[in-house]
Amino acid sequence: MLKKISIKKINDLAAALMEKGTLLAPVKEAAGHNFAEIKDPQQLDLNYYNTIVSPKTVFLPQKEDFVRYETAKPVAEAQPVALNIKATFLFGVRPCDAKSFQIMDIHFHASGIIDPYWQKRRDATVIFGCAFDLDIPAQDADFYQTLGIGAADPEGSDVFMVKKGEDLLMKAITPQGEEILARLAMLGEGKPADKKYFEEYIKKGSQHQTRNMCLDPQVIAKKLEDIFHSGEFWQAQSAACLSCGICTFVCPTCYCFDICDDTLFSRGVRRRVWDACMFTDFTLEASGHNPRTHVYQRLRQKVCHKYSFHVRKYGVISCVGCGRCTRYCPVNIDIYSIIQDAMKA
Amino acid sequence: MINKNPYIPIPMKVIKIIDEVDTRDIKTFRLSFLNKEDEASFKYLPGQFAELSIYGKGESPIGIASSPTEKGYIEFTVMRMGTVVPGTVTSALHDLDEGAQIGIRGPLGNSWPIEFLEKKNVVVVGGGFAFTTLRSLVNYILHEDNRKRFGEITVIYGARNPGLLLYKNELAAWQKRSDIKTIITVDKGDESWQGREGFVPAVCKEIAPSPQNAVTVICGPPVMIRFTLPVFFELGFSKENILTSLEMRMKCGIGKCGRCNVGYKYVCSDGPVFSLADLEELLRDFATYK
Repeated sequence: MLKKISIKKINDLAAALMEKGTLLAPVKEAAGHNFAEIKDPQQLDLNYYNTIVSPKTVFLPQKEDFVRYETAKPVAEAQPVALNIKATFLFGVRPCDAKSFQIMDIHFHASGIIDPYWQKRRDATVIFGCAFDLDIPAQDADFYQTLGIGAADPEGSDVFMVKKGEDLLMKAITPQGEEILARLAMLGEGKPADKKYFEEYIKKGSQHQTRNMCLDPQVIAKKLEDIFHSGEFWQAQSAACLSCGICTFVCPTCYCFDICDDTLFSRGVRRRVWDACMFTDFTLEASGHNPRTHVYQRLRQKVCHKYSFHVRKYGVISCVGCGRCTRYCPVNIDIYSIIQDAMKA
Repeated sequence: MINKNPYIPIPMKVIKIIDEVDTRDIKTFRLSFLNKEDEASFKYLPGQFAELSIYGKGESPIGIASSPTEKGYIEFTVMRMGTVVPGTVTSALHDLDEGAQIGIRGPLGNSWPIEFLEKKNVVVVGGGFAFTTLRSLVNYILHEDNRKRFGEITVIYGARNPGLLLYKNELAAWQKRSDIKTIITVDKGDESWQGREGFVPAVCKEIAPSPQNAVTVICGPPVMIRFTLPVFFELGFSKENILTSLEMRMKCGIGKCGRCNVGYKYVCSDGPVFSLADLEELLRDFATYK
């Protein structure tokens, strides 16, 4: 099913989606765009490259309240925080980020114990992916092509959107996508010419140039195992690293979290919050023992987790080449260069 | 109430607290379930652990020290951690009185591989405080319903001094039984100590358990493990037949939070029990035995 709407009328689409549920889309903030709830249909804005923080925030928010308690009361009286999820439309996700959800799905609800929070949010959300603008060159940091993701790759989206002049073409990719497009009365039918344009755009997207190297998941996984104990390599790569952890916070596939109790005057909330393997106390044990005291050990953990351990455990590289970690690193550490150097090492 | 959310603890009541050692920093907590449904669904095997939870303090992963053959309660032996900065949860646990309520999440992790151990001789080697899940295993094997499924059982357990041995009454009872060989040793005895003196690795060498159809299950401080493993290599135990249990800082306990990731394994959900063959496959920035 291919539908279309004039970009001038995009606010009508926003209003219709807001009636049906929560609409989340890139919203311009002082420093750039970030996903946020659209409160006014006029806020919907298609003029962004990509968001600062990845849309993982929608499924794995930085803070997730588990249970409310009072320390003076019995444990049995603690109240689990109900997760009331409304139907959600996540609008304008770039192809690399849409792919990241599939990678995270393997961890959170396709292996072992299912994470109820991730699953409920995922189930309630329809992803409206949106192709990068192929007339604009990819930013220097991006390397999603290396990970086999095209600039107009519909994989991972329920509805995929491509701009065609003054129009926005919207194609249903999954049954959920079909369903929502059928319910949006203001959309026009896509013509055969639109269909052709859409398909060619997707093909063209796979040629859209980002930094690119030939990377086989099994090969890089093995390579990183081989150089794991090369202190020299990792020390050189991490020499500038400040352990600030911003790479993990903006990353669409970093999921490490902490569970902590936040108590004030005997009332509190147990919640999970994002954590990062780059932080010094991430592995600090109560005994005082810390297996990863050095910066190089932590950067190695991050890189190897994504490009080696994840491949061994789940079969896929846990990186989509969105370039955020490189873009926001205060000391210009670039995971693409690390992988490139590792392949040569 | 059956709690299906793996992050929300179930309520338990502390029904008994036992001071285990002279230094009074290791206590065994016997907990009973407040809800029958929770009790029915809490099915565990020796070697598994649970997150002990005190609201306002946090959670700590602790091995289950009781055996599943003991009905109506579960036990955890907990050391009060931290010398400079106190361990928040373990200190709070130690400050509890009988009758208090705490939460637990579990059972978590894999277990000692019971089926793999069946029909084999089992050599249990423990040191100091790291004897809790080994005690669970020994009591499980010794239960009348289970004993005949296993071959000879040898326990070699050591502590720095007699006052630091855990489960003293049980050890004495095992020593009186004919279907288990129990060797207790201390690094240094006191005036009243009648038993054996010597470090665990040396005692293992002296006892020299046969590797024929045998598996050894080793838990102890890193220094003990480091010197005990070569003894078992020399005796001819294969890496598949040397098992141990890893510790690592954990939070979720269900393989999601990423904290206990070592190589491509999560200690909490893929472990904590690993064979030496497993461990050698992992990339160990946590080398304790090399």
